[in-house]
Amino acid sequence: MKKEMIEQIDGYGDIIREIDVSRKFGSAFKDEKGKVKDYISHLHPSRIQMRVLDIIDETGSTRTFRLVPEDAPLPPFIAGQYITVFVETGGIRTARPYSISSAPNQRGYYEITIRRVPEGLVSGFFLEKVKTGDVIQTSGPQGFFYYNPVIHEKKVICIAGGSGITPFMSMIREVVECGLDKEIRLIYGNRSVDDIIFHRELTRISEQFDNISYIPVLEIPPEDYSGKQGFITGDIIREVTGNTLDKTFFLCGPPAMYDFCLPELEKLSIPRKRLKKEMYGAPENIWEYPGWPEGLSQDETFSVIVNNGKPFKARAGEPLIKALEKNGVLIPSLCRSGECSMCRVKITAGKVFQPPGVPVRTSDKVFGYVHACVSFPVTDMNIHI
Amino acid sequence: METYDAVVIGAGNGGLTASATLARKGLNVLLLERHNIPGGAATSFCRGRFEFEVALHQLSGIGTNEKPGPLRMLLDKIGVMDKLEFVPMDDLYRVVVPGEVDITLKPDRNQIVKELQLLFPKEKEGIEKFFDLVWKVFSEVIGVFYFKDPEVSREKYPHFFQYVLKNLQEVFDQCFTDPVLKTIVSPYWTYMGLPPSSLAFVDMAAMLFVYTEFLPYHVKGGSQALSNALADTVLSNGGTIRFNCGVKKIIVENDKIKGVVTENGDEVKTRFVISNASKISTYIDLMEPEHVPQKISDELKQSTLGQSAFTLYLGLNCPPEKVGLNASTNFLIGDTDPDRIYERMQQREIGEEDGMLLTCYDLIDNSFSPKGCSQIALVTLKYGDCWLSVPPEEYAKEKFRVADSMLSAAEKIHPGIRDHIEEMEIATPLTHMRYLGHPKGSIYGFDSYLRNSMFFISNRSDIKGLYNTGGWYGSSGFQPTLESGVKAAKALIREFSAQQEGVK
Repeated sequence: MKKEMIEQIDGYGDIIREIDVSRKFGSAFKDEKGKVKDYISHLHPSRIQMRVLDIIDETGSTRTFRLVPEDAPLPPFIAGQYITVFVETGGIRTARPYSISSAPNQRGYYEITIRRVPEGLVSGFFLEKVKTGDVIQTSGPQGFFYYNPVIHEKKVICIAGGSGITPFMSMIREVVECGLDKEIRLIYGNRSVDDIIFHRELTRISEQFDNISYIPVLEIPPEDYSGKQGFITGDIIREVTGNTLDKTFFLCGPPAMYDFCLPELEKLSIPRKRLKKEMYGAPENIWEYPGWPEGLSQDETFSVIVNNGKPFKARAGEPLIKALEKNGVLIPSLCRSGECSMCRVKITAGKVFQPPGVPVRTSDKVFGYVHACVSFPVTDMNIHI
Repeated sequence: METYDAVVIGAGNGGLTASATLARKGLNVLLLERHNIPGGAATSFCRGRFEFEVALHQLSGIGTNEKPGPLRMLLDKIGVMDKLEFVPMDDLYRVVVPGEVDITLKPDRNQIVKELQLLFPKEKEGIEKFFDLVWKVFSEVIGVFYFKDPEVSREKYPHFFQYVLKNLQEVFDQCFTDPVLKTIVSPYWTYMGLPPSSLAFVDMAAMLFVYTEFLPYHVKGGSQALSNALADTVLSNGGTIRFNCGVKKIIVENDKIKGVVTENGDEVKTRFVISNASKISTYIDLMEPEHVPQKISDELKQSTLGQSAFTLYLGLNCPPEKVGLNASTNFLIGDTDPDRIYERMQQREIGEEDGMLLTCYDLIDNSFSPKGCSQIALVTLKYGDCWLSVPPEEYAKEKFRVADSMLSAAEKIHPGIRDHIEEMEIATPLTHMRYLGHPKGSIYGFDSYLRNSMFFISNRSDIKGLYNTGGWYGSSGFQPTLESGVKAAKALIREFSAQQEGVK
C-alpha cells in the first residue's frame, strides 16, 4: 500500500505524533546487550569451571568430590538435581551425570559422590586420577527428580539402591539443616554393610531428628545384624510406609532395583502421580530386554556412518553414544539416560533398539530421531547429526 | 572457510519456513539453531509419560480442503501438508466469568450473533453492528493486502479507511455497553497482549474473522510435528541444519552482509542472512553498534517489550471431563475490566481476579495423552520484570508458590485438578528467556501498538543482504510468523537471482 494512501487513513496523524513522542523518550535497547545471556547464566550456565577442593573417602569404592567454582558464584539448585561432568580420558571425550549430594543451602560448593563402576571409564578416572586442585568442567544443575510442594505429599518415602543415595542425601541434609516441614523415610538397599555410603551420617541424623528415618536393607548382612535383609520388597516398603495414601514415593537406583521394586510398589497400588523415579543411565543388560532381536549377541558389531563420513564399528550391547565418542564424534549430552534429549540424532538408514519407556517426542519418532544415549545399534546404519 | 548462499539464524517458525523455501529453490542454505530441536516456541517436551505442547493453542489459517486457508496453502506449497495431520476444533472458545457467564461459542458467525443476542437482548443491534464491522473491515483488509489491489481508495474501501487505525475500545463503545458482553467477544486480546483500550481493532477483527472462517486447529504431535516436518523439508532439499549452534556475530561491511560467526568461533561466509532472532538480539547483541542503521534505532526507540507468560503444564491421570472440562479452549476471566487484568500483568501474583487460558487438546485428539489421561496448559501473560527481580536463591520457591496460587484460582472453576496431577512443569518469564533468548522472556516480541504495525514500520533493514522473520518484525503468533519466513525468503531469492543475473 502506498504511503500517500496510508496517510489518508483516519487517525494517521495522531499515531505519527505518538511515534514522535515515543522516539524522543524511548530506549534503543542498547543496554540490553548481553543481558539475556548474563541473566540466564546465573540460573542455568551451560558450563561451569570447577576446582576440586577436597576428596572424601566414603567407602572402599566411593569418594565424594567437593567442587568449588573458579569464577562466578554457583547457580542454585533443587535437592535431587544433578550436574554433568565433561572429561577426556583414555583419548575419549565424554560426559557423565552425577546427582549433587550436598544440600542446596550450601551455596559455596557442590559435592558429587562417585562409586567405582566395574570397567567404568569416568568413575575410574575420578577415583584414580582426579586430585585435589584439579579443574574440571561441569554443566549447570539439571533434571526433574525433585520434590514439588504443589503436588507432592509432605511425607516422603525415599527408596535408594547403592549410589542412588546421592540425591536423597541432598534432600535429607536440606530438610534437617533448614528445618523444613517434611518427613522423610529412607529405605536404602546395599549388598553389604561396607557398601553403604553415608551410613554414619544417616544414622546420626535419624537419631537426632524425628522427621527422618533411615532403614538400611542388606543383601548379605553381617552376623550380628538385626535390620532388614534381602531386597527391598513390598513387605518392607509396606511396613515402613504404613498408610500409603498420604505419601509420595521417590526411587533412585540401578535399573535392576527398578525391575524388582516397581512391581512390588504396584502391589501396594501406588498411583503414578505419587511415584517419582530418577533416570539411572542406559540398561547394562539391554540384550535381556523383551523385544531384543532374537539371537543377536551383545558383542555383534555394526557399521556406523555419520554424515556420510568414514564408517566405524559399534557394538550392539553398547549405547550408540559411546561408539560415537570412541570414534571422536562429539555430540552434546547431559543425562545419558534418554531424558534430556541433548543427544538427539537422526537415523537415516538402519535400526536401533531402544528400551521401553524412553521419552522420545512423538514426531521425533516419526522423523527418525532417537536419543543416542539409550539407543543400541542392531543393524548397520547411517546417522545424521 | 565454509560458504553458503544464505544463512538463517534461528529455527523458529519463521526461520524454518524461510529455510525450507530457500532450500526448495535450490539455494545452499545453512540453518543455525542454539537449541537441540527445531521450533523455537513451536516445540514440545516430555515429562514422565506425557509430552507437553509448549506454545500452540489454536492454529489459525488452515481451513478445510474445500475452503483452504492461507496457511494450508502455504504449507502445501512448502510440501509439508502430507507429513502432518490437522484436527479442527469444534469450538471457537469458551468464556467463563464466575458468577456472570459460562458460554461456549462455535466458529460460526451467525450462530455467535444469534446466541449473543439471546443473552443480551438489549444489545441486539450493537451485536449485529460489531460483527458486521469485523467482517467488513477485515474483508477490505484482505482486498488491500492479500490481493494487493493496485487502486486503493477511500471510496472502494470505506471501512478500511475509517476503522483500520482505531482501537478496539472505540469500536466497542460504538456498539455495546455491557462489560460482560465485551468480555465474551474479546478474550483473544490475550493472543496479542494489549487490552481493548490499546489493541488495534483490526487485530481483533483479524483473529475473529480468521478463526471463524478457517476454524481453529490442532496438529497431531503438537507444534513440534510442524517444526520437525519443516526441518525435514530443509534437509531433504539439501539444506544444512546445525543444532546446538548459536550465532555470536553477524559480519557487516559497508552496510552489506559478509557472513556470520558461530558461538564456537567458526566463521561462515555468506551474502545473505535471514534473522529469526529477536530484533534486539539481531541488532544489539549480534552486530557492532556502528553497523546498526539509524532507521532500526528509531524503530527500537518507539517499541516496548511485550509480555512473557507464566504457564503450568499439567499431566492429569484422568480424562478431562472428570475435572469438568468439555471445551478445548477455555478463557477463565476473573474481572470484566480488561485494563485491570492488564495492570496485574506487571505483578508476579496470580489469583482469581486474573485472566487465564486453559487449553486441553485431549477433547479433540485422543492420542494426545496416554490412555485415560489428559493434559492441561494453563497460561497467563506476565511482563518479565517482576520475575527478573527475584533473587536466584528464591527463584524455585517463588515458582512453586505462584504455581500453587494459580492452580487454586483455576480450581475455583474446575475443582479437582490438583488431585489428578501426575506431572507438572512450570514455565516463568525466565524460562521463556532461557529457551527463546528473548529479552525479559517476551513471547510476542514488542507490544503490538498500532504505531508498531506495518502501516508505520516496514520490514526493510537497510543492510544489504539482511532479512528478518518472526514475531519481532510484525505480527506474532503461528500463522503470521510462518508466513513471515516465506516472505523473507522470497525477498531474498529476488535479490539473489538479480545478483546471479548481474554476474552472468
